[in-house]
Order: sequence, then structure tokens, then C-alpha cells
Amino acid sequence: MNGPPETKSAEKEYTVRWSAAAAEASYPSLAAAFTAVMQHETDCLRDGAASLPPWEITCHLPSRAATPSTRPKYVYHVNARAGGSGGEGTEESPWWGLATAVEQLTLLDKVGQIKLRAGQTVRLAHHEVFTATSIERWKKVKENIARFVFLGMALALIVPMAAILTYLVVQAWPALSFSFLVQNPQHYMTAGGIWAPLVGTFWLVWISLLIAAPVGVLAGVYLNEYARNNWCTRIINLAVVNLAGVPSIVHALFGVGAFVMFAGMGRSLLAASCTLAVMTLPVIITSTREALSAVPIAFREACWNLGATRWQTIRTIVLPNSISGILTGVILQVSRAAGETAPILFTGAVFFSTLPEHGIRAFFPYGLGDRCMALSMHLFTLATQVRDVSPGLQYGTAVVLIGLVLAVNSLSIGLRVYLRSRKRW
Amino acid sequence: MDCAIQFDDVSVHYGGKTALRQITLAIPERQIFGIIGPANSGKTTLLKCINRTLEFTPAARISGKVVVAGRDVSGFRNVYELRRRVGMVFPLPVGLPLTIYENVAYAPRRAGMHDRSELDALVEQCLRSAMLWDEVSDRLEMLGTRLSGGQQQRLTLARALSHRPEILCLDEFSIAIDPITTMKIEDVLLELKERITIVLVTNLVQQARRLADRTAFLSDSRLIEEGETEMIFTHPANRLTGRYVNGEFG
Repeated sequence: MNGPPETKSAEKEYTVRWSAAAAEASYPSLAAAFTAVMQHETDCLRDGAASLPPWEITCHLPSRAATPSTRPKYVYHVNARAGGSGGEGTEESPWWGLATAVEQLTLLDKVGQIKLRAGQTVRLAHHEVFTATSIERWKKVKENIARFVFLGMALALIVPMAAILTYLVVQAWPALSFSFLVQNPQHYMTAGGIWAPLVGTFWLVWISLLIAAPVGVLAGVYLNEYARNNWCTRIINLAVVNLAGVPSIVHALFGVGAFVMFAGMGRSLLAASCTLAVMTLPVIITSTREALSAVPIAFREACWNLGATRWQTIRTIVLPNSISGILTGVILQVSRAAGETAPILFTGAVFFSTLPEHGIRAFFPYGLGDRCMALSMHLFTLATQVRDVSPGLQYGTAVVLIGLVLAVNSLSIGLRVYLRSRKRW
Repeated sequence: MDCAIQFDDVSVHYGGKTALRQITLAIPERQIFGIIGPANSGKTTLLKCINRTLEFTPAARISGKVVVAGRDVSGFRNVYELRRRVGMVFPLPVGLPLTIYENVAYAPRRAGMHDRSELDALVEQCLRSAMLWDEVSDRLEMLGTRLSGGQQQRLTLARALSHRPEILCLDEFSIAIDPITTMKIEDVLLELKERITIVLVTNLVQQARRLADRTAFLSDSRLIEEGETEMIFTHPANRLTGRYVNGEFG
């Protein structure tokens, strides 16, 4: 095999440079240089002296000193301590043993794979087994970047939450007391507590839940377990998704039209609860379906193969394993219903009403046909409609409302953890 | 010799893809009937036609007639009874998220058996037939889903036997089971065929040869050949069959 013109030229010299030692020697050809390296390494091994790559072999003209370029033209890798043979000389797959490396390098030189001009260098680096290659180091860097970005985003969620809560609690501290909870608003709402709106919100949420949860869950079960995939089902699904995206003020206007006026409920607790129910229904349906479809289809098919009907399958396998998801969805809607103002604004909430503060009547103050106060509405009123109200009262109401929502959410998380621990697969 | 199952010109399409082409086949009563053939040749689809579980695949369309116990299956009003008459074991074992006991007692309970001692006896008998009893007898209250793959496969076998089927369809029932246990189950199958019809789909050609009285060879959604197992293995009428059973293709 003919070598390239550069290597033929007799004027060139090849200087071997050991990184550890200062030793340098020049040879007339690459092959001679490799042989010398091998000889040197063998001597070192015999003497017990540590001598490991990297070595660099630089090509230069005899008249000039060998000044290696900063980047070698060829880089090969050898696992110098290993015995045996094999490897490809790359970083991922280094040659096994120096003998292999020298043998392979000589071969590469012979077939003209290594062509050096003056000033160019070939480098043989040592690569320990099971140490990171450059690809793996870069993978690690990317992994760390990704992790810190995600961590940062997660922390960014906590910061505003903590800031808002702290600010609210600090502002509300003077007003917060037990009597704040159990007293009615007094003196045109510039004093007193929040009993009437608290009870109002409680009943609004409960009644809306009693309406929305059964309808929503059963509809979700039907859509996920029974309905065939036809145009009718698709229209229902589309309607549910769209309904979930309707702004709450539109729900409010619908409530006025449908419940207050058409159904003749008037502005009442019942009409407001119905409106809230309509608002929460689509999300309950959707979360029920999500929970049901998380149960693997294979379980259902196994049951059907055993001759079980759809209902038997749902009752024995599907519902027990999806109830946590279903309940979580329902409870999250409770907190949403408690916080919404718009849907009750026109349908049943009032600015002010006095209630008995004592006795059994204090807990059941509203009939279904009565108007009621609600926390969210009360907060809105305090903040915008009432003069000379102490800030403590406003912030106190906000803290109670947020506390209520957080409590309900925590309940749902706790329930989910508990039910998931009983999950069967 | 009566026929337990009869396929009469059965074709199945999944959307645009053909899974079975004009299969006409009679499976005799109280025998083991082997079905062999390369992957994607329609073996599993053939089983799904028997108990009408093909209906769970929305895109599947079936034409032709499948007759079980003398009745056209499409005419069964009470499809649940049909499915109770046919025990199915599929290659991917699915332990129901219930205890081992309840896994096996599931079908009998759904069919109205509630007497505890009767159920106990049935569960033990089924688990013994599936060679699982010795391993789980002391922990019947453990979740079936916690068992290993091979144990779950035997659990599905026990479950398929629990509703006392007249036809037992086994689709690759032994892929996750060790050879020794497989042999024991095969002995049980040979006992069972005194009473019930067994359809055995298998990729282990030798298993078909050991167990089956008659064997059918499917390839590319067609029935290539069907006959006495010995004939199929020693004097196949079709060259393709010969090459398959001798391991030359597939």
C-alpha cells in the first residue's frame, strides 16, 4: 500500500512526547516512532515504573523544533492497564492494552489512515474502564440543567402562594378570633363577624354538590363504560368539554334565565345552588371519566370473558379502583364552588341578612327559597361597597375563605393518598 | 363424534385488515384440538369468535357462522351464559385486582353461587388443576396482582376453570410457566378432555403434538390444513405445513 506523499518524504521527522516525562526523541517514520514507544513502555513495565499515555507524536521538519499544534489531528484511546485485545480506539470503545494500540496504529499508518503534515499531531490518550466518556459527561450536564429548571419552576409556584398567605394572615391577625366566626356582621357590616356568609356558603356548596355529584358521576360512568363511540356520544363529549370552558358569569346568566325565571325558583338558595351545580357538573364528569379510564381495559375484558355483565364489572372491579380519582375530582369542585362569586351574584346571594346566632336555628338559618349571604360575595361587598370598614375584617374574611378552600383541598389530597394506598395493583 | 364448535365460512376484518379468511372448521367434542401457525395468522381471533369477545374490538367485523353446542353464537340472547360455557386463557395474564380467592371465586359469584363451603371447595379444586394450590394455599387473601407472571398465568387458568366451562380455550397458556409445571398442567388437560373440549393455541409445535388429537395449521389468516395430529406431523398434505412443523419456517 502506497503511503501518502507526506509520509514518504524523508525530510520529515516524528517526535514522540511523553506527557509525564520530559523525554523526547525523533524518529524518521511513524512506524519507527510506534516501535520505539512500544519498546519504551515495555521497559517501563519491566522496571515497574508507571508510564501511561497520553503520548503525542508530532510531525515536523528536521530544521525546526517540534511545536505540537494545540489540537491533535487524530486522537485515539487506549485502556493501557487492560490486557487482551480488541476495541476500536475510540473513546467509547478504547483499545485493550498498549500492545493492541501500537499494533493497530502501525496498521493504520500502513494503510494510509494516518497522514501527518508538518506541525500536526497524533495523540494516544489513556481511558480508564467504566469512566465517563465525553458523551456521558454531556448527558450529565443536560440532566442537571433539566432538573434545576424543573425544580426552579416548582419553587416558583410556592413563592407567590406563601407570600399571599403570609400577607393575608398578618393583615387579618387583629380581627381573627372565634367570635369573628360566629357573629353576624354588625353596624352596616363595619363590625362583627362572618357567621351569616359562612353558613350561607356551607349550604350553597352542599346543596350544589348534592345535585351535581350524583348526576356528574353517573353520567361519567355511562360515557366511559357504556356509551359506544358514535356521533351522539361525541356530541355529548363536545358539549361537556365546552361547558367546562364557559365563563362563570355566563353560567350566572343562564341560572337567572333557567332557574330564577323559567323554573320559578326566584332568587333563592336553591336557584344559586343549581347554578353552581351546572357550573361544576362538566368538570365532575370529566374527572370521573379520567379516573375510570385509568383502570386498565384488560381488567374489564378479563371479567367479560368470565361472563360478567358490564354492571357487575363496574361494581366489582372498575369503581373500587377508581373511587379515589372520582372523589378527588368531586372535592376539588367543592372548593371551586365555595370560591365563585359570579354564579350566585344574580341568582340568590344578598349583601346582607341577619341570622340567629344561637340555637339550632343558627345552623339551619336559610330555607331553600330564601336568599342567603356567601363568603365570596361578602368579601366583594366589604372590599368595594362598604365605607369605613376595618381592613382586618376584609382580610379576615379572605383568610377564612382561603382557609376553607385549602382545608377542602387537603382533605381531598389526604383521601387520595389513603385510597391509593388501598389500590389493588 | 359430535362437534362442539363449528366454523362455517368465517371471515373477520379489523378495519381494512383481514384477520381470518373463510375459515370452515369443525372442532370435535371431548378432544384436545391444537391450533398452530406463525404470528399474525389469526389464531387468537379464531378463539375470540367462539365466545363473542371479538365484539369488544369496535372495528372488528365478522361474517359467516360460528356454532357452539349446536347453536349459532350470534343468536345467543344471553351472551353471558355463552361466555360462562367457554373458559378463556389469554397469553398475557391478567390477575384481577382482587385477592387470589376472589379471583377464582369471581365467576361463580357472578353466576349466583354464594355458599361459602361450596365456593371454598371449588376454589381449591380449580387452583389444584392449575397447579397453583401448593404455592398459594397459605395466602389466598393476597392480591392476585402481586403474584409473579407465571403464577398469574396459572391463576387465569384456574379462573377459566372456575365457571365449569364445557369448552376451554387456551391461548399460549404456558409461555410464562416453567417446563415442569407445564408438563403437570398438560397432564391435567389430558384428564379434563374426558369431560370438556379443549382448544389449544400454541407456538410450541411439540406441545400440540404431545397433547392434541387433531391439529389445524393457520397461516396468513387462512386455514391451510386440518387433520389428525399424527398425520399433520408425519404426512402433511401441504408443503407449508410440513415446513412449519419441522421448524423450517415461521
